[in-house]
Amino acid sequence: MISKKVVFATFVVLFASFSLSAATTIIVHPGNSATLDEKTVQRIFLGKEKKFSDGSETIPVNQSADSTVRADFDENVLGRSSSQVSAYWSKLVFTGKGVPPKEVANDAEVIDLISKNPSAIGYVDSSSVTDAVKAVSLN
Amino acid sequence: MKKVFALSAVALLLSGTANAEIRINGFANLVGGITSSDDSLYGYDEDINFSEQSLFAIQVSGDINDRMTATGQLVARGSDDYNADFEWAYLTYAATDNVSVSAGRLRMPLFRYSASLDVGYSYHWVVAPSSVYDVPFNNVDGVKVDYSGYSGDLEYTFQLTGGKIENDFTLAGQSADLEVNNVLVGTADFTYLNWTFRVVAARGDTSFDIPALDPVLAQLGQIDPNLQDLLAANDDDGLFYGVSLEYDAFDWFVSAELTGVEIEDSFYPEEMNYYVTAGMRSGKWTPFITYEKSDLNDGPKFLDKVAGYPAPFQGPLTQLLVGIQLPAVSENSTTSVGVRYDYDTNIALKMDVTKFSDDIDEGNDASLVRFAVNYVF
Repeated sequence: MISKKVVFATFVVLFASFSLSAATTIIVHPGNSATLDEKTVQRIFLGKEKKFSDGSETIPVNQSADSTVRADFDENVLGRSSSQVSAYWSKLVFTGKGVPPKEVANDAEVIDLISKNPSAIGYVDSSSVTDAVKAVSLN
Repeated sequence: MKKVFALSAVALLLSGTANAEIRINGFANLVGGITSSDDSLYGYDEDINFSEQSLFAIQVSGDINDRMTATGQLVARGSDDYNADFEWAYLTYAATDNVSVSAGRLRMPLFRYSASLDVGYSYHWVVAPSSVYDVPFNNVDGVKVDYSGYSGDLEYTFQLTGGKIENDFTLAGQSADLEVNNVLVGTADFTYLNWTFRVVAARGDTSFDIPALDPVLAQLGQIDPNLQDLLAANDDDGLFYGVSLEYDAFDWFVSAELTGVEIEDSFYPEEMNYYVTAGMRSGKWTPFITYEKSDLNDGPKFLDKVAGYPAPFQGPLTQLLVGIQLPAVSENSTTSVGVRYDYDTNIALKMDVTKFSDDIDEGNDASLVRFAVNYVF
């Protein structure tokens, strides 16, 4: 009985996380034709990868720490809570090994930045995506 | 005042370049602790104390050009009356995407958490396990070469550090100076999916200057200068090695780290320390448990030399040999249980309860409660 409950709970959690991640979309400049998968996006936002697959520089754009879209991105794409991601960056920052992505206040700012800069990559709520940027599917 | 001036001088230096971006970050650990009556541990006693392991730090870094970065870290420790010191100051040159070279005053990459040892926010403990992390040779003046890369899911970093260490420390309550020349440290870090594995080996020409030991060493020298030289740590080969392994499934983690120190031709005992820690992450809560062991109790060295001296000397010689080695001898085990609470993405609240057992003299056993606020900005 217990194991059935656990299995059921796991399904609920899995389902919840899938439906959440469907609400967040990775976006790049319309002219950016680099191939991106979830692993690469992870590496870019964790400061491990500084170049797109075509060799051009990456500039990840983060959202503010208290936004739901950030929490969703951290949880589902980076696979950790925002606090864990922040603990990860504190290790790099205070050892001079990295600088965390710039944070902006909302989806509109992310889209504005990315539409103007071919190097930028960010994420927004799926409902905010406009023609000014290119949505990337992570599959 | 001098310190403030030094800081602004660095800031000025960094801002000298027209397009330099100056980043100012900081971190703070406020740690309070109290032991049970009559106990003492890590500088805490039965009266509550907020300064022993607290610290405040500011880091200023700036890009000199697109390949060079200057970093300075000013740290004020409560145990040092919050006198601020530049503990790190170095330049980093990113030679390629994989290779960087840093020069200046750096953290010795001895441990898994060496680099972020002072940033309480970066780990689950209130303070990193003292049995392993409490060493007097954490910073080095020198050069570090860093090579990192990945292949599939395997990420790796190799580091080679060379330089010189000078520091003061306390041995059995006596103040002492440490100097290690021609330091060479090699490390290899691997991350594969949820696993992290690390090995480190280091060596250096090690000298201890412990005034309290000088009179007995001189007595030994009257019997045989060679013995005095053998027991004194004077430009003697010191070795350090360590391994660590971690499995982090995000919802829970287990990790262990083992380190050893050996200065063969000296009074210093063969040293071996380790810890094992585990925790669970449940929302904002991370309860954890840690077991630590520190062993500098390998029996007195060099007693086999005694037989080579005439019988009347053997008694006093044995006494001297044992007496000189005794202050460094210790063996203890520590268990702590605690919890971290992520109050915000830059503030963590923690508390732990520590039970310390001295395996040689149980009169030193102690219990300690600590709580901490860790902040980063």
